[in-house]
Amino acid sequence: MVPGAVRPVDVADAAWGERQLLVQARQRRVRQLQLFAVWLGIIVLVAGVLVRFNLDVGFMTTWGWFILSRGVPTTLGVSLASITFATVLALIGSLMRISRSPILSGIASFYVSLFRGTPLLVQIYIIYIGLPQLGIVLPAIFAGVLALSLNYGAYMTEIFRAGIQSIGHGQREAALSLGMTPQQTFRRIIWPQAVRLIIPPIGNEFVAMLKDSSLVSVMGIWELTFTATKSGRPRFKNMEALLIAAAAYWVLTALFSTIQSLIESRLGKAHER
Amino acid sequence: MSAEERFAGGERAVNGEPVVRVRNLHKWFGRLHVLRGVDLDVAEREVVVIIGRSGSGKSTFLRCINFLEEPSAGEVAVAGISIPAGHRGRELNRDLLKLRMRTGMVFQEFNLFPHMTVLENVSEGPVTVKRIPRAEAVRMGEHFLAKVGLLDKRDEYPIRLSSGQKQRVAIARALCMEPRVMLFDEPTSALDPELTGEVLDVMRQLARDGMTMLVVTHEMGFARDVADRVIFMEDGIFVEQGPPDVIFRRPQDPRTQRFLQRVLD
Ligand SMILES: Nc1ncnc2c1ncn2[C@@H]1O[C@H](COP(=O)(O)OP(=O)(O)OP(=O)(O)O)[C@@H](O)[C@H]1O
Ligand SMILES: [Mg+2]
Repeated sequence: MVPGAVRPVDVADAAWGERQLLVQARQRRVRQLQLFAVWLGIIVLVAGVLVRFNLDVGFMTTWGWFILSRGVPTTLGVSLASITFATVLALIGSLMRISRSPILSGIASFYVSLFRGTPLLVQIYIIYIGLPQLGIVLPAIFAGVLALSLNYGAYMTEIFRAGIQSIGHGQREAALSLGMTPQQTFRRIIWPQAVRLIIPPIGNEFVAMLKDSSLVSVMGIWELTFTATKSGRPRFKNMEALLIAAAAYWVLTALFSTIQSLIESRLGKAHER
Repeated sequence: MSAEERFAGGERAVNGEPVVRVRNLHKWFGRLHVLRGVDLDVAEREVVVIIGRSGSGKSTFLRCINFLEEPSAGEVAVAGISIPAGHRGRELNRDLLKLRMRTGMVFQEFNLFPHMTVLENVSEGPVTVKRIPRAEAVRMGEHFLAKVGLLDKRDEYPIRLSSGQKQRVAIARALCMEPRVMLFDEPTSALDPELTGEVLDVMRQLARDGMTMLVVTHEMGFARDVADRVIFMEDGIFVEQGPPDVIFRRPQDPRTQRFLQRVLD
């Protein structure tokens, strides 16, 4: 072959295919490096801005531990308790929503509309400082979990309903034709299939809830946000304290997002080739 | 009666109670009168094939027999359990479950349970509905999987099966309930063409083994070879019925003649 002549590409050539794969892999790695570089650049920039705040590193190391050790467990506890109750509410709510009874379905759709249509903060205030006018006084932590559960339960009701209804009609008919009762059909056939669709969004909701749980700080619950403002404000170190809280939220959400996508890919693989 | 006699399409003695008895069945979908007074007796071991053009009400008729559709008027009885249209009560509900247990159904779209293995699919009915101990249900499941030639697929999930294999598993799943009659609603219409044969073979064998069958199909060859009786349906009524020889060779009604002329060329 004449040196320098372009060799015509033979697509059927196995070595050519191999080379293409290698090229693609290298392109992916280059892109990841680029993204990493951009992140690094932004971090340096932000750090530069932060330096101008004259952050008190001494405060951050002494109070940082207090904020984290006090705040993170409460934030996690409130979120975990609330997502659990919200899941139960959503299961009940979605079953009521799709039931034939107009009463049950009506109650459920009213609940969903009300709690999705009003701000979480207003719901928290109504439960915590509104209800006492009726003589109902709830401990702050209880009111917080209640508000988060009711609010997220409403959103998750719709997620559950969509998951259940996305299971094809044929599944129900096949089960009924075997002689299963409607209850058996739901428990054995519809629900196990719906769960695979529902679990990933529950993970999303939990990550969102970790952040929304900061709203219960208005009731003086010692979760991350409240602990941070309480530690920072009297010492005029708001920025230092809030940065620690923000970093903690970020790490937590990143952590749970990763766990969630792991579960998702696991579920996605089940029953497949 | 021997297999040869069956395939000759000879007359079949109706001995005793019919397995399926339908009287004056009507079905409305809103204003649409889809079934307009249908009567049918299916004898033990009889194979009845229903043919007719799209929209004539064949599926609706089959689905009314096991009450996947609620009949608007009339009465349906399977294996001695008789349910009139329109009544809903606890006692009737129990009858409904019993009737469905004795009625196997095979759908055009298979409707296998994707979250269960093949063996779990077929043993689900016996375990959940009949409350048969799992070990015994597994034995039954294996027996019927062997019957449709898919015992080696027992631990696969449905997604890994071909369309023909899926439909054979669906047949085994229905058989596992040991039904008195099998309803087939276009069991080969969703198959890749080269796979219809394996499903029809299983159905042929089933007929040879003496299963009572009610089949809606466009497979005229199957109807001619296997049916004891062919029914031509149009606009929600049975226009004409008889042994396949008579229906295919000397149809009396002009509507039947027109339909057959179109499908047989
Ligand atoms: N759930 C339903 N609601 C309203 N109309 C329906 C419903 N199911 C069927 N129909 C109508 O009833 C008529 C009969 O339908 P059916 O499915 O029984 O016909 P078919 O003979 O099985 O046709 P095909 O050969 O296409 O399967 C059609 O006009 C159809 O549109
Ligand atoms: Mg049909």
